[in-house]
Amino acid sequence: MSKPRRKCWRSIDELENTAGFQSEIGREFPLEADEELDPVSRRGFLKVMGASMAMAGMAGCTRQPADPTYPYVKAPEELIPGKPMYFATAHPLPTGAVPLLVKSDQFRPIKIDGNPEHPYNLGSSDVFSQGSLLDLYDPDRSQHVLYRGEKREWNEFAIGYRDKVLATGDGTGVYFLSSTITSPTLARQWREVEKALPKARLVQYDPAIAGTALEYGSSIQYDLSQADVIVSLDADFLSGAAYPGHHKLAREFAALRKQPEKGMNRLYSIESTPTTTGLKADHRLGLRASEVPAFAAALAKEVGVAGVNPAAYAWSDEQKKFAAAVARDLKAHAGRSAVMPGLYQDPLVAALAFAINVALGNAGKTVFLPPLPPKINYPPSPLVPLSSDQLAGITGLIADLNAGKVNWLIVINANPVYDAPADLNFTEAIKKAKTVVHLGSHVDETAQRAHWHIPAAHYLESWSDARAYDGTVSIVQPLIEPLYGGKTAHQFFQALLEQPGLSPYDAVRETWRETLSKKGDFEKNWRKVLHDGWIEGTAFDKTTKAGAGTPVAAIPTPTPKDSFEIIFRPDPCVYDGRYANNGWLQELPKPVTNLSWDNAALMSGATLTKLGLAEQDIVEIAVGNGRVKAPVLVAPGHPDNSVTVHLGYGRRVGRVASGAGFNAYAIRNSRGMFHTTGSVRKVEGKWGLAVTKSHYVDHRAQASSGNSNHSLEADEALGARGIVRAATLAEFKSNPDFAHEGEGRGTPAADASLFPDWNSSQGNAWGMSIDMNYCTGCNACVVGCYAENNIPVVGKQQVKLGRNMQWIRVDTYFEGNLIAPRAHFQPMLCQHCETAPCEQVCPVGATVHSPEGLNTMTYNRCVGARYCSINCPYKVRRFNYLLYSDYETESLKLLRNPDVTVRSRGVMEKCSYCVQRIQQAKIAADKENRPIADGEIETACQQACPSKAIVFGNLNDKTSRVAKQRMDKRSYGVLANLNTRPRTTYVAEVMNPNAEIEAGTKGLGTRDRVSGEQEINGG
Amino acid sequence: MPQLFHRRSNTLVRMGLVLAVLVAVATGVALDRLQRAPWVTRQGEQPAQPVSFSHRHHVQGMGVQCQYCHVSVEKSSYAGIPSTRICMNCHLQMWPNAAQLEPVRQSWMSGKSIPWVRVNDLPDFVSFDHSVHVNKGVGCVTCHGQVDQMNATSAQYSLQMEWCLDCHRNPAKNLRPASEVYNMAWRGPSESRPVWCAVGDEMSGMPTAESVNCTVSDPLARAVLNATLTTPSSMNGGRVLVAVPTYEKFTSQDELGRFLVNHYKIRNTQDLMSCEVCHR
Repeated sequence: MSKPRRKCWRSIDELENTAGFQSEIGREFPLEADEELDPVSRRGFLKVMGASMAMAGMAGCTRQPADPTYPYVKAPEELIPGKPMYFATAHPLPTGAVPLLVKSDQFRPIKIDGNPEHPYNLGSSDVFSQGSLLDLYDPDRSQHVLYRGEKREWNEFAIGYRDKVLATGDGTGVYFLSSTITSPTLARQWREVEKALPKARLVQYDPAIAGTALEYGSSIQYDLSQADVIVSLDADFLSGAAYPGHHKLAREFAALRKQPEKGMNRLYSIESTPTTTGLKADHRLGLRASEVPAFAAALAKEVGVAGVNPAAYAWSDEQKKFAAAVARDLKAHAGRSAVMPGLYQDPLVAALAFAINVALGNAGKTVFLPPLPPKINYPPSPLVPLSSDQLAGITGLIADLNAGKVNWLIVINANPVYDAPADLNFTEAIKKAKTVVHLGSHVDETAQRAHWHIPAAHYLESWSDARAYDGTVSIVQPLIEPLYGGKTAHQFFQALLEQPGLSPYDAVRETWRETLSKKGDFEKNWRKVLHDGWIEGTAFDKTTKAGAGTPVAAIPTPTPKDSFEIIFRPDPCVYDGRYANNGWLQELPKPVTNLSWDNAALMSGATLTKLGLAEQDIVEIAVGNGRVKAPVLVAPGHPDNSVTVHLGYGRRVGRVASGAGFNAYAIRNSRGMFHTTGSVRKVEGKWGLAVTKSHYVDHRAQASSGNSNHSLEADEALGARGIVRAATLAEFKSNPDFAHEGEGRGTPAADASLFPDWNSSQGNAWGMSIDMNYCTGCNACVVGCYAENNIPVVGKQQVKLGRNMQWIRVDTYFEGNLIAPRAHFQPMLCQHCETAPCEQVCPVGATVHSPEGLNTMTYNRCVGARYCSINCPYKVRRFNYLLYSDYETESLKLLRNPDVTVRSRGVMEKCSYCVQRIQQAKIAADKENRPIADGEIETACQQACPSKAIVFGNLNDKTSRVAKQRMDKRSYGVLANLNTRPRTTYVAEVMNPNAEIEAGTKGLGTRDRVSGEQEINGG
Repeated sequence: MPQLFHRRSNTLVRMGLVLAVLVAVATGVALDRLQRAPWVTRQGEQPAQPVSFSHRHHVQGMGVQCQYCHVSVEKSSYAGIPSTRICMNCHLQMWPNAAQLEPVRQSWMSGKSIPWVRVNDLPDFVSFDHSVHVNKGVGCVTCHGQVDQMNATSAQYSLQMEWCLDCHRNPAKNLRPASEVYNMAWRGPSESRPVWCAVGDEMSGMPTAESVNCTVSDPLARAVLNATLTTPSSMNGGRVLVAVPTYEKFTSQDELGRFLVNHYKIRNTQDLMSCEVCHR
């Protein structure tokens, strides 16, 4: 063999080749795949079913039920029943609103997507925005005004509230505690309240924002389309909307990797906890969180920033070399590089990063500062119009509470009892307030301790406004009347003003009246703004004051290497806990770990071994007086002696949220909001985590590979099978055809199949192409698919059995060792094979081929034999083992996409290429006697993707984007050598490592890997 | 050991076996018939409606066009059940006090919908689009029967899959000019009643429903008539030359159907029979 084999792995068990893994690949079917969960034995089950089967013939004779149908009394003029309408709105997030275009079916919002015309996100979205749709219909939402737990009317509250608060005269003793205010209108209303009641206090607190630069609303603007070298200092800008500007940054980052032959950017990631940004990076350096500022300083010094003199630190040779190489690369790309500080890092890192950018001349080219937030001048206002020191704010509030100064505590869309820093003991302090009012979507931990609880309106039910990351103002427009009479923060502030009844709608119009009256008629402009979704000309000016941010304070010394660091991060799926009751997001496997339904104490393999732990063991983490029990999970690439815990779990309310994970807020103190030191101790028991990545292990590994310790797909992912094909830029240049090189990768001849040839050149031939250079593993596609295709949530127990129903998954193939892994992200969905193995084994013809090349699934014909799933080499078919779809809950009925069947028990399902969208486009085109235009059909996953990795279209149209992308030399079909002729193809990944770093260390290359086990011990 | 069974029992067993087969076959046949029976399909059933609405009276008697009530049939998958307002458009003036219309007035005053019972109901796993059928020349009558003759509305056909496929296999036999879709009395062309069709502008982007002009009166004769009415009759010894689009004459549904399939750009049978056309 001329070329040594590169190896991939998908789980730690696989890398370590544990006994558990061995037994798993030895099994023909996944554990318990064929066993019922309830105690009924197989025999008993057959006995019962025998009788039912006899009756099954009768089931076909079910009478069509006599359904009543309820027409409108007065049909709205603009509505055509059966035709969806689209409305522009925005999802307010403290990291910048996400502009949206929401699909409404008979005035029910049923699908959220980015606003395709908005310059910021160009139609892309993220897991939070996609998932927020389910939040609207969450059956656990609070539905009544409550006073000490008893139902009341809003008016009973409203009158007393206004009278009593105004009776204080100057607002003494009136405190508002709000989540970060992002709405310019709300800020304006607050300023008016402040004028009327000068002693009333507003405290803003968001657990994921407090202590970051975002509480001041200063969001540095990057233009990565001009950056050839990007250095991330713990900045996780690729994994989700938790990082400001994610949508735009991911798109621009990916765009410069489109055509490697014309050059590509290079990403260095220095990070304290493994994220998709680090795994996607061309070079990744795992550092302890407290080392990052020191490393940033060292980097600044290397680059030549004046006035930075970091104290000596025991960097390893590798780290020193990394810093030197990065600095050299940065200097070589002065003016075309960008250094990005992490949101959750010390503010010093941001200062240093900006200083480096100024020194390199990046400021004004790739990095911009928006104008500093003017004190009182609205609009325009920055991202967070009422900037404040949130930690100082809540600390002060608690002091005042304890001092008995608080008569009214009005909590607006916040849950401090759950998420305030543990050392401040908010739970005790809140008892001292005379009246506590809580406005929130759920009767949550805070609501349970409040006197009054008012249900909050969802953003899809309310009028408001917010700014996107780039500053453009979006109007938040409701798509539905509040389902449970929810109220908004606007009403709370407005109630104290001169016109207490002024609706949020009028308040928002008032805010923008002046701006919109400048050019022409206000009403006309207002309608245009509602139609477009944003106000033109409100984006931040890209102004950069060179030298701003240069003063660098003393650089903190990293904590001793043997001390234990605890890192807190908002969860990639449920954020700070606000999405915790969202089944879609709970079931979503987290990037890197593929953990669903739980959070875990993430640590490196070496630390795990050092502490004598095994995965899923329970540890007690102690920080200060706080203690919490958490399961342990290894995260590849995690720095040693350091533990990452994600926030947002361990809730005690909500049917979905409660019982999932542990509450990391219990050990989060005001002095170490994002990282601190603590201790970890093993306690008794096992947790039982639902990790999805081991589900798709193929049992044939042992038989076919001869090398028994790897699963088929991972063992040969980079080798003979070539599931993942990747090369470095240098390799690609010397061998542009690398994706098709090697044994067993050739596609069999056209006549090598006994089955009919579907490759017709007539009509439409649907196909998809996924560029692996673009995919950053952010999961937006998965949640988009949930909403579009009525995918059920199955629950933790079922996920553990491998029965999760997502039609698309993002496979993560790790390469290298546990200490410095690199990952390849591969969205895996039905490949719509032309000679589909599933079709050939279906006993009832429930899965057949359409003339346009779709592998269709006819649910009403499926008898649940599951042969198709067994014969599918891609493992993309999902079976409804139980009745997963919720047919009962009223609010969830409103959520469903009416164009997609809600599947019942015993039915196989899988990706359909969003066939309902194809059919609608075909009908529209057929009626108008025209061909379907390229790009007219977008699949849900394609639409959601921030980096535009997915292209869908007609392969017979040689000018279509998908046809062109398939002509690319790097385009290949996964397992095409099985002669499946997949319609979904992938574009092989090209990475751009720095030769300087690559040369000495064992980076990506063609060298053979030493076995993982040795390297774990070595680390 | 004595024989346990008498010789006769052999015959009994044989008869029993034959009987078992017969019973099995009979059950099969019965079930097969049952699932096509009107009891199951509700074909022909006239369910009690909250208002005793008569299509016959409104369509045949008053001449109300289908789309007056079924507003979205050309635009959407859903033809639309009329809102109470549509009823009241007329009934505010006509029969404003009729006892029969009490539920309609109730609905109008209270804002609560009239709970009509679906007569033509498809299972939830079937996606049906009215607009594409109507635009491609499938008449209302083809699926709903002669609604203009129904006092109480009932389903004319079973609406079962085999019935749908019967047409999807060969749509030509049911097609009519798009202009005749709402014509309740349309009969396909025959020797005695031919249909003339002319192809108009078949540009891309031009709705297919507008691509063909059809008429049941001889266009040439009509043109001559028109010409004689408008031009001096002495020209060319009575023979008039008028620019008439080339009309084709059809004397059978088969010919007309094939012609319309062509010009309405109806997909081929293979496409129309594919599962995802109706099941998604």
